Amino acid sequence: MTQLDALLSSLARERSTGALRIGRNGTIFLADGRVTYMECSQTPGVERLLSARGVLSETKLRSLQAEEGGCDRLLAEGAVTPGELQYAVLGVVLDAAFFLLPVTGSRPKFRPGERHWLGGQWYFDVAGLVRECARRRAQLAEAWPSADMDTLPVRPVTRLPGHGVTLNRIQWEVLVRADGKATPVELARQIGRPCYPVLLAVRRLAAAGLLELPEPPPERRTGRRATAPEAEQKLPKRAARRPAPAPRADTAGASSLGPATTGDPTDLALLMRLKKALEELS
Amino acid sequence: MLGIDSCLAEVMAIPGALDAMLVDHTSGMAVAFSNDSGVDADRSAAALTEALRATTDGLARTCPGDVVRVDDMLVTTDKGHHLLRLLETVFEGPLVLYVRLDLERSNIALARHRLQSISSRLTT
Repeated sequence: MTQLDALLSSLARERSTGALRIGRNGTIFLADGRVTYMECSQTPGVERLLSARGVLSETKLRSLQAEEGGCDRLLAEGAVTPGELQYAVLGVVLDAAFFLLPVTGSRPKFRPGERHWLGGQWYFDVAGLVRECARRRAQLAEAWPSADMDTLPVRPVTRLPGHGVTLNRIQWEVLVRADGKATPVELARQIGRPCYPVLLAVRRLAAAGLLELPEPPPERRTGRRATAPEAEQKLPKRAARRPAPAPRADTAGASSLGPATTGDPTDLALLMRLKKALEELS
Repeated sequence: MLGIDSCLAEVMAIPGALDAMLVDHTSGMAVAFSNDSGVDADRSAAALTEALRATTDGLARTCPGDVVRVDDMLVTTDKGHHLLRLLETVFEGPLVLYVRLDLERSNIALARHRLQSISSRLTT
C-alpha cells in the first residue's frame, strides 16, 4: 500500500469531507469518506472533455462552475443526461486515479469542507479505486509488457509490416495525430480523450508492430512483426535498466510480480488483497 | 433523461431479463451490475468487452472497405439470449448495455425495442 492509499483509507474511515491536495499533481475530493471527484494535472477533467466534444463552451462551463448549484443547471439545460454525466465523472476519476494514486514524494494537504462542483455524481470507495487501478495496470501489461511506450514519443512505422491491419477508433486517432514528438499523454490532450484508453491503444499498436520501438534489438530488423514471446523476453530487461518515472513505477512492478509477464488480473487482485490484509494485521 | 442506476432498473424491467450490466467498452470495466449473486461482474465485463472487440475485428475483415459500427449484438445459447447494445455518449465510449434474457419468457424483438428506447433516454 502506498502512502497515499493509506492516507486516503484513513480519511475514509473518519468519514471526512474535503479536498486532499497532492502538491501540483492533483486534488482528491471526498464527501463523507467516499471519493467524489479527482483532478490530475496529467489527465483531462470532465470540463475539458465536454468542451473538447463541443457540448458546451469553456466560458459557459466556467460560469456554471462558479455559481451555486451549477451542476444542477448543467443537467437542467439538457446538454448532457444524468447518466452521461455520471459516466463522464466515473471515467475521469478512474483515469486520474491511475496517475495520481501511485504519486509519491509530495506532501498531501487536506482542506476540510471543500467540495468539487461535479462531486456527488458517483461515489467511489478507496479500496475499489485501488483495485480498478491495479486491474488497468494488469490490462496494460497484458497488451504489451513494457512501460517504455507510455512515456516516449509515439512514432508509427512508415511501412506496414504485412498486407492489412484493423484499427479501432482510438488507434486511428493516435496514428493520425502522431507526429513523432508527442507522447501518449500529450496525444490524449490533443485528441480530447482520457489518458488511459490512449495508453492502451499505444501498447496494442506496439504489440501489432505498428510503432517504432526504442533501440530495437537486431533480430527485429527482419521487418516481420515481433512475436509475443520474443517481446516478453526482451522488453522487461530494458524496462528494468532504465529508472521509470514515478507514475509508471507501479506498472513495472505489477508486470514483474510473477515469473511470466502474463499479468493475469485475478492473480494481481488476489495479491493486492493479501498484501492489504497482511498490512492491516501488522 | 436517465441516470445510470435508473437505466439499469429499466433494463431489468424488460420481460424475461435475468441480469443486466453496464460496461465501459474502452477499459472493460463493469460500471453497474444488476445483482451481486453468483456472477463475477468484473470478469464478465472484461470477457464481454473482448468478445465485442473480436466481433468488430472479424466484421472489419468480412466487410472490406467499410467502417464497422456495431449497434447491437445478439448471442443465443441453449439457455437464453444475450443482448448487447453499444451507446455513444458525449464522454468516452462506447458504453455497453448488456442484458441476459430467459429463453422461454423473453421476446427478442420487444427486448431490442426496449433497449433502443432506454438508450435514447440515456444519451443526448
